[in-house]
Amino acid sequence: MRGGWVESGPLDDESRIDRAAAGRVVLRLGRMLRPQRSAILRAVFLLIFQTAALLASPLVVRYAVDAGLVGKSGRAINIAAVMYLVLAVTSALLGRSVIWAVSRIGEDFLRSLRARVFRHLINLDLGFFEREKTGRLVARMTSDIDALQELVSQGLVMFVQNALIFVGTLVVMSLLSWQLTLCTIIVVPPVIFASLWFRKRSNTAYLEVRDRVGTNLSTLQEGLEGVRVVQAFGREGGFIERFEETNEAQYDANIATVNIATRYFPFVEFIGVVGLAVVVGAGSYFADRNILEVGTVLAFVLYLNNLFEPIQQLSQLYNTVQSAAAALNKLFGLLDTPNSVPEKPGAIDLPLAGALTVSGVTFAYGGGPPDTDGVSHPLGPIVLADVNITVAAGERVALVGPTGAGKSTLAKLMARFYDPIEGDVSFGGVSLRDATRRSLRERIAVVPQEGFLFAGTVRDNIRVGSPEASDADVDAAVDALGLREHFESFPEGLDTEVRERGSRLSAGEKQLVSLARAALADPTVLVLDEATSNLDPGTELEVERALEALTQGRTVIVVAHRLSTAQRCDRVAVVADGHILEIGTHDDLVSRGDAYAALFAAWTRTE
Amino acid sequence: MTAETTEIIETAATKSEADQRTERDLAARTAGWRLMVEAVRPQKWWIVVGVASGFIWTLARLAVPQLAARAVDDGIRGDDLHLVLLLTLAMLAVGVVQALTTGLRRYCAFRIALRTETDLRTRLFAHLQRLHFAFHDEAQTGQLMARANSDLQQINTVVILLPLTAASMLTMIGVLIIMMMKSVVLAVLALGLLPLLNRAATRFSSRITPANLALQEELSGLSGVVEESLSGIRILKGFGAERLQVKRLDDAADGVLKQALRAAKLRAGFMPLIDLLPTLSLVAIIWYGGHLVLDGQLEIGDILAYNLYVLMLIWPLRMVGMLVAQSSRASAAAGRIHEILSTDVAVDDPPHPIPLSDGPGNLLFEGVSFGYGPGRLVLDGLNLSIAGGEAVAIVGATGSGKTTVARLVPRFYDANSGRVLLDGVDVRDLRVSELRDAVGIVFEDTFLFSDSIRRNIAFSDPGASIETIERAARLSGIHTFIQSLPQGYETLIGEHGYSLSGGQRQRIAIARAVLHDPRVLILDDATSAVDPSKEHEIRAALAEVMEGRTTLIIAHRPATIALADRVILLDGGRCIASGTHEELLASNERYREILARSDSTESSSLEGSE
Ligand SMILES: Nc1ncnc2c1ncn2[C@@H]1O[C@H](COP(=O)(O)OP(=O)(O)OP(=O)(O)O)[C@@H](O)[C@H]1O
Ligand SMILES: Nc1ncnc2c1ncn2[C@@H]1O[C@H](COP(=O)(O)OP(=O)(O)OP(=O)(O)O)[C@@H](O)[C@H]1O
Ligand SMILES: [Mg+2]
Ligand SMILES: [Mg+2]
Repeated sequence: MRGGWVESGPLDDESRIDRAAAGRVVLRLGRMLRPQRSAILRAVFLLIFQTAALLASPLVVRYAVDAGLVGKSGRAINIAAVMYLVLAVTSALLGRSVIWAVSRIGEDFLRSLRARVFRHLINLDLGFFEREKTGRLVARMTSDIDALQELVSQGLVMFVQNALIFVGTLVVMSLLSWQLTLCTIIVVPPVIFASLWFRKRSNTAYLEVRDRVGTNLSTLQEGLEGVRVVQAFGREGGFIERFEETNEAQYDANIATVNIATRYFPFVEFIGVVGLAVVVGAGSYFADRNILEVGTVLAFVLYLNNLFEPIQQLSQLYNTVQSAAAALNKLFGLLDTPNSVPEKPGAIDLPLAGALTVSGVTFAYGGGPPDTDGVSHPLGPIVLADVNITVAAGERVALVGPTGAGKSTLAKLMARFYDPIEGDVSFGGVSLRDATRRSLRERIAVVPQEGFLFAGTVRDNIRVGSPEASDADVDAAVDALGLREHFESFPEGLDTEVRERGSRLSAGEKQLVSLARAALADPTVLVLDEATSNLDPGTELEVERALEALTQGRTVIVVAHRLSTAQRCDRVAVVADGHILEIGTHDDLVSRGDAYAALFAAWTRTE
Repeated sequence: MTAETTEIIETAATKSEADQRTERDLAARTAGWRLMVEAVRPQKWWIVVGVASGFIWTLARLAVPQLAARAVDDGIRGDDLHLVLLLTLAMLAVGVVQALTTGLRRYCAFRIALRTETDLRTRLFAHLQRLHFAFHDEAQTGQLMARANSDLQQINTVVILLPLTAASMLTMIGVLIIMMMKSVVLAVLALGLLPLLNRAATRFSSRITPANLALQEELSGLSGVVEESLSGIRILKGFGAERLQVKRLDDAADGVLKQALRAAKLRAGFMPLIDLLPTLSLVAIIWYGGHLVLDGQLEIGDILAYNLYVLMLIWPLRMVGMLVAQSSRASAAAGRIHEILSTDVAVDDPPHPIPLSDGPGNLLFEGVSFGYGPGRLVLDGLNLSIAGGEAVAIVGATGSGKTTVARLVPRFYDANSGRVLLDGVDVRDLRVSELRDAVGIVFEDTFLFSDSIRRNIAFSDPGASIETIERAARLSGIHTFIQSLPQGYETLIGEHGYSLSGGQRQRIAIARAVLHDPRVLILDDATSAVDPSKEHEIRAALAEVMEGRTTLIIAHRPATIALADRVILLDGGRCIASGTHEELLASNERYREILARSDSTESSSLEGSE
């Protein structure tokens, strides 16, 4: 298992961790690996034996030369050959077990780590996801765990083995001939210094490459995602030029790493020849003086390699180990992030029906713990201030008001995406804080403003809210909304691929899919946050009625800019500046001549 | 040159394209080879230098063990230590040559490969930027990214290997000759097993690669689940569907585990074997060579030299094995890239473009039929005539083809039959750039670039003066807001910048189209995220923007529709009615249905005002 080479990622400031943190990571890792203790011990044991076999081979060569060639004994040569063969085969067999054992332990560990981190992550509160950059979180689950994978699949074994080999070789060499060892050892410092230099320089250079590759990739991605806009405005030329720039920058950064390597590898190769020359020259001299036997010289030549490679590899592996430790540190940090809307111990199920009551609710975004970059997110301005509203079972209430008024925020609080700072939201008399997560999601569903289609078929997308629904259930939901005919007219009907972000569908059709999702989930309380803004009013009306008919007495809360939608609701609440300005039936509010009346006048002005 | 080569191979193998189809037809591979040869050709002088320095390097390297052997022999004989000194110095001198040439040959190899990769990437991007919308509809961004990334990596790797392999071949031949000269039997015993090493390396490479690719595929599947879960997190939370994704992730993680263990098993099987084979050669040298020394046919120094030669051969043999496997991956990758590069741009300038004369912006659809794919026509014999300067609203049910009509004007797609004419000229007879200069569009799904607000607005004319930009922003009702931001027009938006609300984004997109100053302006549902109080403001501004242009407005809101002089009702792929809003409300049942005005009380209350 010698001779492999571990590609290690560059190390940036973010992935350096201090000693104390490293200690904690190692301890915790140790605890997590405790069940595997015996397997690990076995692997280490095998590894030590394998290394011993590797170290013994040059000694056999020495014996062959001294006893056989110089001592003129054919028998000694035969013995040596057999011994060499046995050692080689043993080493290969041990190597096989080592690789397999270590991979098995590591991969199992990674498998459970992945599942554990994701389970924890996905159940965290929405506030967490708004604090953190998506890219960061994806990195936790991908590149951070990959950094561990690298370590597990090859790095760890090589690290231990190279260290063993280096030390072992030095010990054996000194035992064989301290004089020749002293001569040989002079080539070690240059290699160490060169390797340290190389690690440092190439690390910086690789960081640069990583940056430039990142920039180039995002130019590429933006060019592809925005290609329609680019072509619409005839800007292809400008974009190609821009890409050429970032692409050439990536080339330059790559060439810089080649330049560094172009200095290092020839130097090491040269030192290799120097080492050989020193061993052979000094060895011959000592042999001539009868200070040592010629076999020792041959053994030293073979050991020389054992000195060079471990230095080079250890210096590279240092990066791998460091980044893996840092990655683990970050993963542990994620696992330790508390959920700010947790399910209480002893939580109870929400009743099957009841009024949704928002009482005295005050809310501001932010205020959670600092994110993984260490940036703190202080409590923002008050978005909702002392809001009170009760939606009776089976009632339809519209929330209207200007952009940024807090309508979506209120909608999200109603489904406990967040907990209010003050006040309480309850359903059927049970505070959402005391409810089980499952019953909460069964009773209250939100179709958020930011619609999102997952890659897959129309059917898959409708099923998102209710994974165990059968095809027939999906059909029934589509039928209920009267959308059967619409989707059937697609080439593959409901099994049509919607393609990336639903690009196969028209804007309104995407919203229809989200609504069908809601119909299938069939919650008691449905919160629609501008879920029909791209629909033609006719279809909107139909869908609304169908949703209502689906469950008798469904409570619906709609956020809408189209006042024609609001007009059809039982009551309308005007939200402005975090307050509910007024609430009442459409007709009442219009005749009242206040905020709503003004809004409505604006809506109908140019008719 | 040992370790760093593996580094290259391993990197390429793991990072490589996940969805490689093992069964690619020969034609694609041949095309791939042709593409690679063509792409490397400009580097021919670097190749010559690289190969030449590789040859010198090989000769130097072959000389070193010979010198070492003679030095050892002299040491044993002990007759002349001066000669030992001389030989040692000679080794150092040869070492210098070796170092210089190895630097040069490495540099050349990497330079050639990087240059080739970079040039191909620019070519690929340039072509992708020009390819028609329908191509991009079918293609997945992720896949195109993979073409420009991991596929080019594969090519890079094989190009690096090529000159390096030339030197390796020479090493092999040289060692063979040197050993043969002393003893054919020993050469056969020592080197006979080594082709097996080559075989093993090839086998390993060709078996570990699918395993690595499969692992890579599982990993990207897993990261797909993670990415999708995070992008759609609000949906998941909204429906409590977290457990669905947890299940999917568990499956993906199991897949990763399975493939990782498969790769580990292969490594466990092959790597010790690959290490063992050269050791067997060393056994042969000790045993048979040892006896030859006893017989006086060989010197002890030769044993040393042979040992060194065998060690020297390990990497060239492995590399040739890897090159074989790598070539097939690279040719497949190049084949895929060639497939894109050879896709014709469907919407392109005609051979003899008619220059677009100044005109008012008349638009004419003549019997236009269009479908995105076979089997389903979205537009079916559409006839439409819009006078220059006129503002027309297109109204229709969800999915009726309004957006599609808009897309045909700037030739995002070409009609299957019928013609679209701008100022009397078929749009297909115009230069594409000229046509698109004359048409400005606000897409219904707003796409802004991660850049400053200023550069987003001045997208079509990066050199626009700040006055022009501000005017466009003012007309779109967004100027005041932009000025209220601490960095004003220089505020960065997008992934790493300020996040705008839906309504604000839409207005920046309007400003972008306004600055484009087109003859025909198309607003595709461009006010859907704007609240009524603001809409009024924008409407007033839009009226000013629309002055002197032909405007197509796609909208569902009566107030926006009212901006138009005339309304066209689209249904069943045709225009079924045309008239003012009031006329259609009064006369057309379908129109009332689409605007949900069949209800008499509603329409009366709306019509009552103003
Ligand atoms: N995730 C968030 N983090 C911080 N601030 C937020 C967040 N979401 C919304 N806000 C802020 O809270 C305020 C209320 O936002 P909200 O989304 O509730 O408005 P809205 O009434 O739904 O507006 P719109 O009509 O544009 O949808 C706004 O000022 C907004 O900038
Ligand atoms: N890129 C595409 N590929 C295939 N089919 C498409 C594509 N874009 C739209 N369609 C289909 O063509 C039909 C017309 O779509 P279009 O986007 O023109 O509708 P629309 O009238 O703009 O609807 P909306 O009001 O919902 O935006 C729809 O049924 C849609 O599914
Ligand atoms: Mg909102
Ligand atoms: Mg549309």
